[in-house]
Amino acid sequence: MTTAVPKRQKKRRDVVFPFVNGVILCVLMFVTLYPVINTVAISFNDGTDALRGGIELWPRVFSLKAYEALLTDPMIYQAFFISVSRTVITTLLNLVLTSMLAFALSRREYVLRGFITMTMVLTMYVNAGLIPNYLLISKTLKLSKTFWVYIIPTMFSCFNMIVIRTYILGLPEALVESARIDGAGDIRIFWQIIFPLCTPVLATVALFVAVGSWNQWFDTQLYNGGKKYLHTLQYLLKMKLATTTQSMNAAQTSADALKNTTQTTPVTIRCAITVVSALPILLVYPFLQRYFVTGMVLGGVKG
Amino acid sequence: MIGASPQKAPIQARKKKGFFKTLWEQKQLMLMSVPMLLYVFLFNYFPMWGWIAAFEKYNPKLGPFKSKWVGFDNFKWLFNRADFLESIRNTLAMSLINLVFGTLAAILLAILLNEVRTRAFKRTVQTVTYLPHFLSMVIVVGMAQNIFASTGTVNNLLLKTGLIDTPIFWLGEKKLFWGLVGVINIWKEVGWNSIIYISTMTSIDPTLYEAASIDGAGRFRRILHVTLPGIKSTFVVLLIMNIGHLMEAGFEIQYLMGNSQVLEYSQTIDVFVLKYGISSNEYGIATAAGMFKSIVAIILLFSANFIAKKLDEDTLI
Amino acid sequence: MRKLTAILLALAMLLSLACAAMAEEPITVTVFRGDPGDQPTDDNKLYKMIEEEFGIKFEIEFLAGDLDETLGTKISGEDYPDLFDGGNSAEKIINAGALIDLMPYISEEKTPNLYNHVKDLLPQLVNENGELFIIPNYGINYNAQIQNACNGPAFFLQKQVLEWAGYPQIKTLNEYFDVIEKFLAANPTDKNGTPYTGFAILCEDWRHFCLINPVQHLMGRPNDGEVIVNVNSGNWETETFIDKPYAKPYYKKLNEEYKKGLINKDTFVMNYDQYIAALSSGTVLGMFDQTWDFGTATQALETAGMYENTFIALPLVYDPEYVDGKVISEQYLNGAVPNKDRGFGISINCEDPERMINLFENLLSDKWQKLLQWGVEGEDYYVENGRMLMTTEQYNNRSDASWQMRNTAKAIWESAPKKQGTQDDGNAWAHSDQPENYFNLMSDYDKAFLSAYGYQKPADFFNAPCTLAPYGEAWQIDKTPIQLDYNDFLAIQDKWLPIIIMSADDAEFDANWAAFVEEITPTAQIYTEFMQAEVLKLVEQATK
Repeated sequence: MTTAVPKRQKKRRDVVFPFVNGVILCVLMFVTLYPVINTVAISFNDGTDALRGGIELWPRVFSLKAYEALLTDPMIYQAFFISVSRTVITTLLNLVLTSMLAFALSRREYVLRGFITMTMVLTMYVNAGLIPNYLLISKTLKLSKTFWVYIIPTMFSCFNMIVIRTYILGLPEALVESARIDGAGDIRIFWQIIFPLCTPVLATVALFVAVGSWNQWFDTQLYNGGKKYLHTLQYLLKMKLATTTQSMNAAQTSADALKNTTQTTPVTIRCAITVVSALPILLVYPFLQRYFVTGMVLGGVKG
Repeated sequence: MIGASPQKAPIQARKKKGFFKTLWEQKQLMLMSVPMLLYVFLFNYFPMWGWIAAFEKYNPKLGPFKSKWVGFDNFKWLFNRADFLESIRNTLAMSLINLVFGTLAAILLAILLNEVRTRAFKRTVQTVTYLPHFLSMVIVVGMAQNIFASTGTVNNLLLKTGLIDTPIFWLGEKKLFWGLVGVINIWKEVGWNSIIYISTMTSIDPTLYEAASIDGAGRFRRILHVTLPGIKSTFVVLLIMNIGHLMEAGFEIQYLMGNSQVLEYSQTIDVFVLKYGISSNEYGIATAAGMFKSIVAIILLFSANFIAKKLDEDTLI
Repeated sequence: MRKLTAILLALAMLLSLACAAMAEEPITVTVFRGDPGDQPTDDNKLYKMIEEEFGIKFEIEFLAGDLDETLGTKISGEDYPDLFDGGNSAEKIINAGALIDLMPYISEEKTPNLYNHVKDLLPQLVNENGELFIIPNYGINYNAQIQNACNGPAFFLQKQVLEWAGYPQIKTLNEYFDVIEKFLAANPTDKNGTPYTGFAILCEDWRHFCLINPVQHLMGRPNDGEVIVNVNSGNWETETFIDKPYAKPYYKKLNEEYKKGLINKDTFVMNYDQYIAALSSGTVLGMFDQTWDFGTATQALETAGMYENTFIALPLVYDPEYVDGKVISEQYLNGAVPNKDRGFGISINCEDPERMINLFENLLSDKWQKLLQWGVEGEDYYVENGRMLMTTEQYNNRSDASWQMRNTAKAIWESAPKKQGTQDDGNAWAHSDQPENYFNLMSDYDKAFLSAYGYQKPADFFNAPCTLAPYGEAWQIDKTPIQLDYNDFLAIQDKWLPIIIMSADDAEFDANWAAFVEEITPTAQIYTEFMQAEVLKLVEQATK
């Protein structure tokens, strides 16, 4: 094959491909960036003006009202703290518990492997429905109105377990074998050898779990019962959007709706909420990205 | 259960020792897995008593044990409705489009990114493309509706280039609905879905690329013989999992994009259940539909897993 | 002996005092609101006053997600708060037995305010068993009802169209579309060159009333939802109107306007945001809607100074040619409708229902009603020559969300029984109803527009409100027992009416109409029978 390709042609291809590739990726970036910039632009626009539509990449009538409406609520900082806490704790627990199970289920000699894997996988496809789940969490486990309702029901996800397991199965078997010969038990092998090697996939799973936990608002709605100091950020933001929409819809008299100049509108609030809730994730993202965009050398055991 | 044969021997050897003895030897593995097993029994399997409601004219006041038993009436009601059958078709069609094109797009993006040598560019592209994942569906659909309106960007472009004479009624033409949903979903999620493949590619041993280069393989051969095999397990496992999820085509996008003119092609099972189940106080019907979805999902899952096994590929279970 | 008695007496008094004090011991009341809302701040002015006077603190849960889903879970776990407002699905919690009957607690001696509040309406408010679970949160008027503008359904038209045409009286369907057509012929685009849309029809989800409701009003009835009730015969015949021959001319008219290009087909796939955007841009000349449904668009237009593009509500009826030469007199405005079964109920989990009743009793006093609806005199409003007035700042404060969080008891007030209409001294109970407030804030354009017609207020375009029928307004009737058929009944209209309006020619129109009537007849029949029975039941109850 090598001898068949003349040198000139090969060189040309090496220039052309990165160029074409670069162009494709730039177009893709533009296409995906447009809605994002559009959202940011609307979030900085005046509420009533934004109702008329037609804002593209820059605000037409600049205003900070939407952010003001969100960030001047004294409860928002408390809610931010709750959200960060739940996200951090849930993510750490998930990483440890999920990867531990993934390791156990990657051991081909484990006799319960088939049974447990099957049991786990099916959880992704059977759903009992809202009410039985609600009764379990609020009545049987009595987690309502506590912080733990944000943690305990979401400590584990089968999807992530499978992702990690697949990754572990791709690691060289020799790593485990040689450790075993040295007399290491399964827990030690997992903790000292496998876990550190899983960094890229753990970073990916951490991202999935963190985003999921951060964006969750429904559990607050279901289980919080008016304990305002346990409200999460997403719940609070969702509520802001709902109240803005509500005050638009249900203006009791036309006079109320007409004469109010300080109001924000759902259009701008929705965009500002997107920015406020996505920003913390965007800030954390580069730290995780390091682990899965930059390749890692696995120590050359393979082959 | 990766189909390689050398592993089979030790398993059989252990089996001879007796099940409980082996189990005792594997107590550390049990320590790492049994607590999670109990966890899913409590949180996922125990609540399944709720499926009783599928066979009842469920009354929230009476609860599942006192409501009137109606046998399979809820199922009969569902399957006698043409629009429920339509919603099954729509669900499968839209999730299939999403699965095929969504996965292809994600893998393609991951490969293109993997070929980028400038680290800063790679990270920028990667970050930018996943951003739309964080936009709410309401925002994305709102934009799409403006872009595809009679006087929107797409129609203007097509009119200007002379490809059409009269604007296309994108949002009111039922035959176009599946395609529109597919395009919007891919646009929103391609970057996010590629993350998993990008992270998998980092586990590919760089020496394999070097070896391929030394053998004189060009870029496309390297992709074909090193990159793709490197992500194959992830691809197959995700594929099997997603085939099980074919009954989930999403809810929000169809709910937001749908209108009375395209309903025949836009209504998914979940939208149907919201309208005729939850909002109409018919928990029995909602549960029956949910149960039907679960059963079909499991059948799909096992079929996909079985085929993978036959093809000697990685399997999920 | 006497001493002993005295001591005993003193002791008994002390004891009873202690008991009384104990009954008024500070408590936290849990509250659920079936609507979204902002949590009040910890130093909120009015909640502080309530706490000081009644020893009651609130822990309020609002709704961020889906109401039916949330109520479903609460019912299944019997997780009821003390004060329970089921929002627009309150039937669910009533049917589930979550609320206590309030009748035993309401009496002329113990709770005079509440008793007077409901006594005239009682036959309409109680159920068949004479039980009352919820005291309506709105719609109970004292003295005269105040109607400055039409807040409900009407045909709307941009004011500039009437201005351009020389302020004609537009009273019928034909007159309405004629003036739009003429205006369009003379002014095809606005000053930016954007073409005008003659007539918009919002069809999205539950807002499809813009598409399916107009015919009853054209026939001269106020809003009964999807039925017309014969209120004059004494038999209360109830029928769906959409499948009747008299509905056809309206959609035929729309079909003609569609063919003339006044109606754009995008209107049938438009969502609410796009509709509001179109209205706010000032390029939509007319539509059928309800005033509150597009308040934001009006606000956007006013903020942009485009007063001539704001809308005036018009009470249209059919021209005689459509109804066998009959002359129909319009009746869009209805008497105040008690918001039956909407508001706070007291749940079976509440430990001290009497105290909750007493709270509502006290909040219904004139003093507290003024505090709740107007605020604190001198801070939130001022009194001049006996009139309660607000500066523009004070007025705007009352609808500013973050001001409300600090200064109003909105979350409780919205769902609690309240006084509406006019106070004994002639002031309005609601600050926004007060005529001075209303007119001071009206734009000069609007004042000139009204005076061109010789009118004082927008409501002068309408006949005075009629007396409310004994069954209330029929759209309030709970359709749970026939919900699935009702869904189908609506879905068939959603599907067919746009197709009918977009028919290419008369033959196609007739064919579509016939197909529609055929498809809708079975569910329309079920719905009619159900509504007929319910209306009769309500009338019987109310006249008992």
